[in-house]
Amino acid sequence: MSAKGLADKVRDTQVWKSIFRHGPPNNSRNRAAVVAGNVFLHLHPIKLKKSGVQLGYTWCMGGLTFFIFLALTVTGVLLMFYYRPTAEYAFNDIIALREHVPLGIMREIHRWGAHAMVITVWLHMYRVFMTGSYKPPREFNWGVGVILLVLTMLLSFTGYLLPWDQLAIWAITVGSNMAKATPFAGHGGPGAALAQIGDFVMVSDKNDVRFQLLAGRFVGEPALLRFYILHCVFIPLVVGVLIAVHFWRVRKDGGISAPL
Amino acid sequence: MKHFINIIADPIFSFPIFSLLFFAMIKWYRVVGTKKFAWIFLAISVPVTVWFLADPQFIKIILWPDNIPINILVILIVFLTWFPLYKAAENDKRLEQGLEPVEALPENREKVWAWPNLVYTELFAIIAGTIFLVVWAIIFKAPLEEPANPTWAPNPAKAPWYFLGLQEMLVYFDPWMAGVVLPGLIVVGLIAIPYLDTNPKGNGYYCFQDRKFAITGFLYGWLVLWIYLIIVGTFLRGPNWTFYGPFEYWDFHKVVAEYNVNLSEFLWLKWLNTSMPKNIFVREALGIALTFAYLIGLPFISLKTKFGKDLLEKVGTMRYYIVIFLVISMGSLPIKMVLRWLFSLKYIVALPEIELNL
Amino acid sequence: MAKQQLNRREFFSFLTVGWVAFTAATAGLLSLAFRFSYPNVNFEPEMEFLAGGPSEFEAGVDERYKNGFGVWMVKQDGKLFALSNICTHLGCIPSWMPAEKKFKCPCHGSGYYMSGINFEGPAPRPLERYKVSLTPEGKIRVDKTKVYRYEKGEWNNPNSFISV
Repeated sequence: MSAKGLADKVRDTQVWKSIFRHGPPNNSRNRAAVVAGNVFLHLHPIKLKKSGVQLGYTWCMGGLTFFIFLALTVTGVLLMFYYRPTAEYAFNDIIALREHVPLGIMREIHRWGAHAMVITVWLHMYRVFMTGSYKPPREFNWGVGVILLVLTMLLSFTGYLLPWDQLAIWAITVGSNMAKATPFAGHGGPGAALAQIGDFVMVSDKNDVRFQLLAGRFVGEPALLRFYILHCVFIPLVVGVLIAVHFWRVRKDGGISAPL
Repeated sequence: MKHFINIIADPIFSFPIFSLLFFAMIKWYRVVGTKKFAWIFLAISVPVTVWFLADPQFIKIILWPDNIPINILVILIVFLTWFPLYKAAENDKRLEQGLEPVEALPENREKVWAWPNLVYTELFAIIAGTIFLVVWAIIFKAPLEEPANPTWAPNPAKAPWYFLGLQEMLVYFDPWMAGVVLPGLIVVGLIAIPYLDTNPKGNGYYCFQDRKFAITGFLYGWLVLWIYLIIVGTFLRGPNWTFYGPFEYWDFHKVVAEYNVNLSEFLWLKWLNTSMPKNIFVREALGIALTFAYLIGLPFISLKTKFGKDLLEKVGTMRYYIVIFLVISMGSLPIKMVLRWLFSLKYIVALPEIELNL
Repeated sequence: MAKQQLNRREFFSFLTVGWVAFTAATAGLLSLAFRFSYPNVNFEPEMEFLAGGPSEFEAGVDERYKNGFGVWMVKQDGKLFALSNICTHLGCIPSWMPAEKKFKCPCHGSGYYMSGINFEGPAPRPLERYKVSLTPEGKIRVDKTKVYRYEKGEWNNPNSFISV
């Protein structure tokens, strides 16, 4: 039996037909059906302007960002199998990921992917600005994009602490001490010195925003756990929801931008 | 030659040079945005890069694992700065001739099927991205230093590279400005862009002529105040956050005479030759007055200029004040830098008593 | 049959009460979640420790208590004081450089004299000093819960140093 004959046979089985409700996408009707009928592909319009698929116009940075986000989710879940967020184990688990775990590059893919995602997000925003694509009717979606940009950097920042090495702890010390300087809400910021009644200090290092972030006055074990949860659960969930909003609005605001 | 480069790489020189180059690039974007210019630039930059890479100190910094993303970013940025200018120059020429921009040509407006045009592009991007990440991961090990030790800080202690622009700002501003207010303004300002930019032109195609102010402002913030500061913070800041030229050995004991003086000390001790007043607000009166003049006076002064009048007419009162406020907030960074370099000025308003330093 | 119908005014007042209640309940729940993020107890290093007798210290900076307790014991001009090792800029740990006679912060290059007063780099104010006292046995008790700040004129406070 020829290969084509076999393929036809497979396409004719009940199993195949139950999964794919339409024939191969080689005619207009089926091309429409495959995009509209597939839960993943129906993010796309069925037809779009040619400028929207030209690399010279889109740079593909938004798409790459989403791809890297998915890759980071997969590698992140795999890393969680071997990583325990405690001061005692964290560092050794990272070493184990390099030396005792099969395919010892999983952490590398995750880390470099994280850096790459920051770059692609920046370049995506840069392209959208240069083509004026934030202009009406896409104002709101630009705002969602900016929030996603901030969340991407927060994801990367919270992940930076998890190896629990010198690089991590001091980068986070410097970063979180900026929160200390938040006006009125941080004990080292302007205004905190005014919020004082007699000996009673209202904003101190035990109740300001940095304390909330680190669950302590220093970057210690509670901070490690907190950053772990933020990194693995909370921020990815928020990002996931906002990505859905972002993509939805790309479609609803008229697809990839083009001259009016 | 290397010594000369070491000297001019110092932000005192390289920041003005970089700013001037930026404005030159904007002014002559039609010269920059040609293929000829790109080839000449490439022909010059490749041998220069090779010559830089031949230096052991330079290559050591470049190849530090966490700096690899910045190398990639820098190469991409160089190309992607040229590319939109090229596209914009092309479109501007067409618009001047009364033609539509390239993106609006009938063949580009034509609708194409998502399958296969878009889906296959995505598939290709996914495959290329996967290969890129795996190869990168095999070649460069993720950095891992000694276990965390809360009692001893490595020298230099750096934030993740994408925050090094902010960390570099910390040299000139107090944490509450550099770490909270300015980043907050960046985020708010970015979100506000579509609501402030009422110019209907340039929606969905590359152009420059019709969006001069918007593009110049955005690119200055992006290239000079963000990317350039990241490069300085990554490659040129060594132990003690002291400046080191690209070919300079990171000597732990390099001593930099640096003594910064507050504006109030200039006023009372040097100019008036008296002692500092006891009342802290009297002491800082000049700085406070200057700050208010900058924040409140400047929007009114700029109304007298042609630029301010045009802007006000185009966008309306409310938007005008927000735009000017964002612009002067952004401008405060280069201003503070220049004051620091010229007069060793530390704070314009120095109120450590209530942690309010500007 | 009388119609049981809300008139316009009643309808709006019900709506108002409903929305106010809804907003209040949401705000209450959110503030509970917010409070939840502040632990009541945390396990951080001791804030008080004993640091030998005054006679054990030579003039200059003593780094014995830096790693364990985050304190430099400095003896200068007849005063012995406990200097915090947390940079006032962004909380890094400066290093004592005996040759240059200064504390230098590795993060952003702030420099401090031996007394703790800042003179270079971005540090906005001098290092803090902690409360020191003598126990009946003649040992120095350092209490890190009480800080003395130079710019507030607190370094003259007799609790902030021990005369030697």
